[in-house]
Amino acid sequence: MSALATIAAFGKKMGASAGHAWSRFWFQSMPTTPLEIVRIGVGAALFINYGLATPYLYFLWGESGWMPSSLLFQDSIDIWAQSVFFYFTAPWQWAAFHGVFLLCCAALVLGWRTFLLKWVVLVGQISYAYRNPYLPYGADQILSALLIILCIAPIGRAISLDRVRAMRAAKRRNIKAKLSAYTSPWTGACTRLMQIQMAVLFFFSGIEKIRGDEWWSGDALWALFANVDYYNHALLDLFASQYWLVNIASYLTILIEVAYPFLIWQRRTRLYLLAAAVFLHVQFAILLGLPYFSFVMIMGHMSFLRPEWLARLGAWWKRRIGAMEMIYDGRCGFCVRSLVWFLSFDGLGQIKVRNFRSNPSPVVSDAKMERALYLVLPDGRALPGFEAYRYVVLRVPGLWWQVPFFYVPVFSRLFGHPIYNWVAANRSRLSAVRFGLPRAPAK
Amino acid sequence: MISKRWRDRLVYIAMSLFLAWHTLAMAVAPAPDSSVIVQSLRPLLQPYLTLFYLDNNWGFYAPTIDLGQQFRYVIEDGAGQRHAFVPTDERNWFLPDYWWFWQWYTAIMNSPTVFGDFATAWLCQKYASLHPVSVTLLGIEEKYFSREDYLNGKHPMDSEFVTVNTLTTAECRH
Repeated sequence: MSALATIAAFGKKMGASAGHAWSRFWFQSMPTTPLEIVRIGVGAALFINYGLATPYLYFLWGESGWMPSSLLFQDSIDIWAQSVFFYFTAPWQWAAFHGVFLLCCAALVLGWRTFLLKWVVLVGQISYAYRNPYLPYGADQILSALLIILCIAPIGRAISLDRVRAMRAAKRRNIKAKLSAYTSPWTGACTRLMQIQMAVLFFFSGIEKIRGDEWWSGDALWALFANVDYYNHALLDLFASQYWLVNIASYLTILIEVAYPFLIWQRRTRLYLLAAAVFLHVQFAILLGLPYFSFVMIMGHMSFLRPEWLARLGAWWKRRIGAMEMIYDGRCGFCVRSLVWFLSFDGLGQIKVRNFRSNPSPVVSDAKMERALYLVLPDGRALPGFEAYRYVVLRVPGLWWQVPFFYVPVFSRLFGHPIYNWVAANRSRLSAVRFGLPRAPAK
Repeated sequence: MISKRWRDRLVYIAMSLFLAWHTLAMAVAPAPDSSVIVQSLRPLLQPYLTLFYLDNNWGFYAPTIDLGQQFRYVIEDGAGQRHAFVPTDERNWFLPDYWWFWQWYTAIMNSPTVFGDFATAWLCQKYASLHPVSVTLLGIEEKYFSREDYLNGKHPMDSEFVTVNTLTTAECRH
């Protein structure tokens, strides 16, 4: 009896240890930032790739192209291989879906309604792949593998318009409100899943190469660049005169691919393996004419970025730019609403705010503040109105998209100053305009 | 009503099961089919792998690097003049359409009886300004090209290193 109890206790202890190890491996609370970088990259790659496919839509995937459904369904297709294109009957349906798909790819990049639209992107990517099975290659396979993980992950919580919307909602209640970074154990699990995917991919890619005679003898890269598809005269000149380079480059490719799945996990070696993998893919992009494939692969590797590296980068940027204080008129509803919208893009929290009505600035007089918003810089300089916004958009990453509007030579200042001055002079009237919003109840 | 503790536990178990399932799928997809373990797991995982387009072997340029193929065509115009084209040379290989068309050309070379008719009809239309009489599709197969060949001033596309296959010839109907 006591032996049984001992075995049971031992089993329970082992089970608890295994459970603890499982949780530690998968469910570490993490921010979504690395996955958001993958989201932006994958979305951009798809948007550009399929955007460029628009002139060939019917030729590559349509009924009038080289793969009509009569040909596709000649051989029986696996019931699980599904495509929305299988159910289309009129050409406008192809065009409509293609348009919606491109919009969803753009939304994925921007992180707008990510929760829903990422699924449309996944369905679209798989649908294109199955509609013409001759077209997909490595890049499409990796995209599907990354997209399924992005779909189950809680993305859109950082570096996204969804985050901007959440920030704006919080700041509308209190302009000084700050949203803490979203972290969750499920994010950690999804990040781990993507990391495993990349490790598995490199592992099989590496060992498949070892099986081949050309790779084993170190001649593979000669065979590759002598191939008409990748023929490179300059490179063959170099390789022919210095053949040892062919051996080194072939073995180095295998070494990186085989080492990656084992050494990428360690804190000390991760950065080197990441750099090596990115280096490898940059070579593929340039020398094999595979920018799409290489970019998608590099995005997959981004899942190995440590959140603390990104946090350190953000902190470094914040330190480099220094503290900025925007002083505004808290009595002007329009000014507050505009500032809330503007500050919602400040994901790093670089801008502090001060309402001069309740908390006068020691740097800018109230008389000046009656005329325009001011930005006080770390060196004590104060920039008014348009110049304040112009200074900020270049220094706050979330506002970089506005740089083209504020930095067009001559034109930005020529039109920006009068527009700002007009808005500032009419801010009381503009505050009365509700822009469709319900009027605040009278107190 | 399930208590929060049990609900959390159920969610944790469901998430763990999914993670184990997806990891297994990722590992089995590229694994060799000759393995007994893979053979036993495949039927279970195949629908999932196919549905989400995850069934890949990740063998990029491996285990062997195939000898190159090049697609060409010759248009014969009304005056009996022959115009030869290498279509991949007309496209920029940094743009995706290069690869889409490359895949099409590969499909034609591998299965001319399936894809040849559409290709010839399409080419007759594309070169209508030449008043084409016929189109001949050619598949060029590379042979092994060594370092010594290169040092002797040869090129992989020299006639001695390639085999030219006539895939199909079709008349253009006006």
